[in-house]
Amino acid sequence: MKCTHYFAGVDIGSTMTKVAIVGEGKEFSLIGPTGPEHRKLANRVMEQALQEAGIQFNCITYIVATGYGRINVPFADKQVTEITCHAKGISSALPSARTIVDIGGQDSKGIRIENGKVIDFVMNDKCAAGTGRFLEIIADALGVPLDKLGDVSMTADKPAVIGNMCTVFAEQEVISQLAAGEPVANLVAGIHHAIAGRVFGLVNKLKIKPDVAVTGGGAKNAGLVKALETRFGCPVLVPVEPLMTGALGAALIGQELYEKAVRDGKEPARKPRELGEATFFS
Amino acid sequence: MQYVLGIDVGSSFAKAAVVRNGILLSYSTNPSGGSYADAARKVSDEAIEKAAIARTDIAATIATGYGAGTIDFAARTIADISCHAAGIRHFFPSVRTVIDIGGQFCRVIKLDAEGRPVNFVQNEKCAGGSGKFLQVIARILHLKVEDIGALSLLSEKPVQFTTGCAVFAESEAVSRIAEGASPADILAGVHNAMSAKITNLTVRLGLVPDCAVTGGGAKDTGLVHTLETELGSMVLVPDEPWITGALGAALLGGVV
Repeated sequence: MKCTHYFAGVDIGSTMTKVAIVGEGKEFSLIGPTGPEHRKLANRVMEQALQEAGIQFNCITYIVATGYGRINVPFADKQVTEITCHAKGISSALPSARTIVDIGGQDSKGIRIENGKVIDFVMNDKCAAGTGRFLEIIADALGVPLDKLGDVSMTADKPAVIGNMCTVFAEQEVISQLAAGEPVANLVAGIHHAIAGRVFGLVNKLKIKPDVAVTGGGAKNAGLVKALETRFGCPVLVPVEPLMTGALGAALIGQELYEKAVRDGKEPARKPRELGEATFFS
Repeated sequence: MQYVLGIDVGSSFAKAAVVRNGILLSYSTNPSGGSYADAARKVSDEAIEKAAIARTDIAATIATGYGAGTIDFAARTIADISCHAAGIRHFFPSVRTVIDIGGQFCRVIKLDAEGRPVNFVQNEKCAGGSGKFLQVIARILHLKVEDIGALSLLSEKPVQFTTGCAVFAESEAVSRIAEGASPADILAGVHNAMSAKITNLTVRLGLVPDCAVTGGGAKDTGLVHTLETELGSMVLVPDEPWITGALGAALLGGVV
């Protein structure tokens, strides 16, 4: 069987592992949990992605790993930071975007891009406020499934005012407001506003330029996206698969690197195509 | 017979002290619970009983702290910074810097040579430097908060947390435990993270010796130990660090 050219991007986030495979005008993607004990198991997600795409591993010409766990991908040919991959991914998915707001499981960041290149970025991974972790904890305290937060917040008549920024204190505040009779929908909407405020405070350190795009797990929450639009004072764009932005960017960067190298007449070094577990942790 | 009752209702604990002619007669502490007013009444009843006097013997009741406004039986309220300063002056007249580690905040107060507060900084926005951090970690380790200090001193290799955020530290601690870290090493790591935050706050105000640590955090010997290392200075701890504010309220109530 003749092998065609496919390129893979593997994005190991704090919470989710994402694999994108591009080539031959096609795109495949798969999302699996990272999990504390699965950090070294990027190979499993890759295996599954290959299976679903019906592609053999040795048909993947080049593999780029990104995300905070990118050095735990032993079969990756190259590691590229998530900032660069995000910019590439969004330039492909939403070419008009110049400011990216990424709300991940344990961090949030703002990235300014011009012509597909990163010109500035800010990041918070030191405080859970403004990250997916905040949403998780509050959703849990309110007994609302994470993926229902958006819908629930849409039924709010008046968002509750959440005075605390710290996740620990906000959780307490939400519980006592709930006990005092505040409707769940209002609390969820209030939490979305609190996160939007926090994220805006971070991203506003950049010179925000439209269009603004939101990526990461936070972008899947329509209520949060709406709150961000209010806070940013402009419409925000959401890619079809917001979680896949980094992995897609990684795959595309791999394709570019490989094709340029071939044009220059030197094939880039590649790892043997073996799906093994990572042998070390970071 | 000038008995004065001081009540300090904090976010986590209510404290009461009975003072007569500038001398501490009795005190009591209790969780603040759901109602600050109920907690204040209960804790003051206990302190009055311990002093072996009747409520009618109390000439004045002074309230301070986070929940002071809810105490309807107090004659007046005094700002907690003033109460804290007066309380620490009673314990240690030489103190010029007070680090108060409460349930939901951390505060540093600078005093002049006469023990009057001249400046303060506080962090109530982040659980990272407060007693809440200890509660969060105690929960996942299935420990009582009061057992943290002694256990942490057994640590040989403190866990290094990547952030000072209590939420992230909680998940990090779970991963470290799965990898075999001992509870003592987790706790010592938490103390290091907290001490770094508290030291930052202290340095912003300027550390003038002598330095005292008060509040619930001062009862954690491990935390006090790492704080001394981080500050590069010895710290004084009152026998009953919790009641500093309540004592100060009672002392100030007797003056005016």
